[in-house]
Amino acid sequence: MKTATRRKGKLENFEEEYRSALREYAAGGGEVALGHAYELGRRALAEQLSVVELASLHHHALIDLVRATEDKQQKEGLLGISAEFLAECVSPYEMAHRGFQDAVKALRQLNETLEEEIKRIAYAVHDEAGQLLVAVHLALADVALGMPEAQQAQFTRIKELLNEVEKHLRRYSHELRPTILDDLGWIPAVRFLADGISKRANLPIHIDATVSGRLPTTTETTLYRIVQEALTNAVKHAKASNVWIRAWREDFTQCCSIRDDGAGFKMRHGQGTPRKGLGLVAMRERVSAIGGTMRIESSPGHGTEVSVRLPLEGNDANTNRTRG
Amino acid sequence: MSVGEIRVEINSDQDIVIARQKGRVMAGELGFSSGDATLIATAISELARNIVSYARTGQIKLKGIHGSSRSGILVIASDDGPGIIDIRQALRDGFSTSGSLGLGLPGVRRLMDEFEINSQPGKGTMVAVKKWRQ
Repeated sequence: MKTATRRKGKLENFEEEYRSALREYAAGGGEVALGHAYELGRRALAEQLSVVELASLHHHALIDLVRATEDKQQKEGLLGISAEFLAECVSPYEMAHRGFQDAVKALRQLNETLEEEIKRIAYAVHDEAGQLLVAVHLALADVALGMPEAQQAQFTRIKELLNEVEKHLRRYSHELRPTILDDLGWIPAVRFLADGISKRANLPIHIDATVSGRLPTTTETTLYRIVQEALTNAVKHAKASNVWIRAWREDFTQCCSIRDDGAGFKMRHGQGTPRKGLGLVAMRERVSAIGGTMRIESSPGHGTEVSVRLPLEGNDANTNRTRG
Repeated sequence: MSVGEIRVEINSDQDIVIARQKGRVMAGELGFSSGDATLIATAISELARNIVSYARTGQIKLKGIHGSSRSGILVIASDDGPGIIDIRQALRDGFSTSGSLGLGLPGVRRLMDEFEINSQPGKGTMVAVKKWRQ
C-alpha cells in the first residue's frame, strides 16, 4: 500500500511537471523545453511509468492545453507542437527498447550455442567413450585367452559390468540430446526420457499428450528441456512419488504442464521462481526468448507444477518480421 | 549545402541544451527526418550528460560528413576527466544506473550507426559517433 501511495504521489508531481513543460514549449520554449521533455522521459522510464501511461498522460495534458487556448491558429499549431514534445519524451524508451531487442537476440544465440554444446557432449559420450569401451573389451579378450578356468567366472562378471557401463553411457547420451527429438519429435523424446527416469528412480510418470504434427525445432527443443528440468527437479529435490505430464494445443498455443506430488518449496514473493534452482530461471529465459510464458506453482508439502505456453504461429519468422 | 563544424563547450546543464539544439539544427540541414533528429539530440544529451556527471567540463563537436554515396553527422564528445578504467564494462548494459535501463553509452551506441570510444584512466575520454542519413 505504502509503495502504491508513494508512486501515486510521484506520478502527480510528474504529471504537473509534464503539463507545465508542455505549456512552456507551446509558448515558444524551444530547445530548453524539449530538453526538459527528454529529462522527463528519462525519469518516467526510471520510475517505471509505462509508455502507455505516458501516452495517456500526454493526451490529457494536451486536451487541457487545447481547451485553455482561445486563438484558433494557436490551437491548430498545438498538434504539431505536442507531437514534437511527445517524441522527445519517448526517445529514452526508444533506447531502452533497442537494448531489449539486443538482449533477446543475444539470449537466442546463447541458447543455440548451448544446444550445440550439448550435442557435442552427447556425441563424445556416445561415440568416443563407446569406442574406448570396445577397445577395453578386445584387450580383455586377449587377457582371457590364457586364463585358468577358476577365474573365468570373475572375468564374465567384469564383462557384464562393462556392458552395463556401455548401456548407461548410451542412455545418458540419448537423454542429453535424443536423436528421437530430431527424428520423431518432442513427445516421443519425452516418453523416452520419462521411461528412463521412471526405471532409474522408480518413479511413476504419467503422460497425457495429444499432439498432431511437428513443431518448429526451437519450440520442440525448449519443451523437451523444460520437461527434462522439471523431471530432474522432481527426482532430485522434490522426492516425488508421482509425476504427471500433460501436453495439449489451444488454438495457436502449445501448452505443457509437469506436476509432481513431492516436497514443494516456498515461492519467493512475486518472483515465481524458487530461491535456489538456476535451472528454472534459465528455462524461463528460454521460454521468453521465443515469446512464450512460464508459470511455476508450488508450496511446501503440496508439490510443484510447471506450466508453459508457447506461441505456435511463426515462432521464429514472425518475431523477426515484427522486429525488422 | 555544406555544413561546417560546430563546437559547444560543456560546463553545465544549460550547455547540454545548447548542444542538443545545435545538433538538431545541423541534422535538419543535413536532411535528416525530424524523428532521426530527435534520436541524434537524444544521443547528444546522453554524451553531454556523461561529461557533466563524470568530467564536469568538456566539449561536443558536431560535423556534417559526406561519403561517396551518403551523408551523415559526426558527433565527438571529449573531456579531460578521470577517464574510464574498463571500457568494455562501461559499454555493457547494467553497469551504471542509467545503463541498466539501456540508456547511457550502451544506449547511444544503439541509436547511432557507428560508435568509437577512446579512454584511459587519468587521460580523459573521447567518444565519436556517426549517424548516416537513411
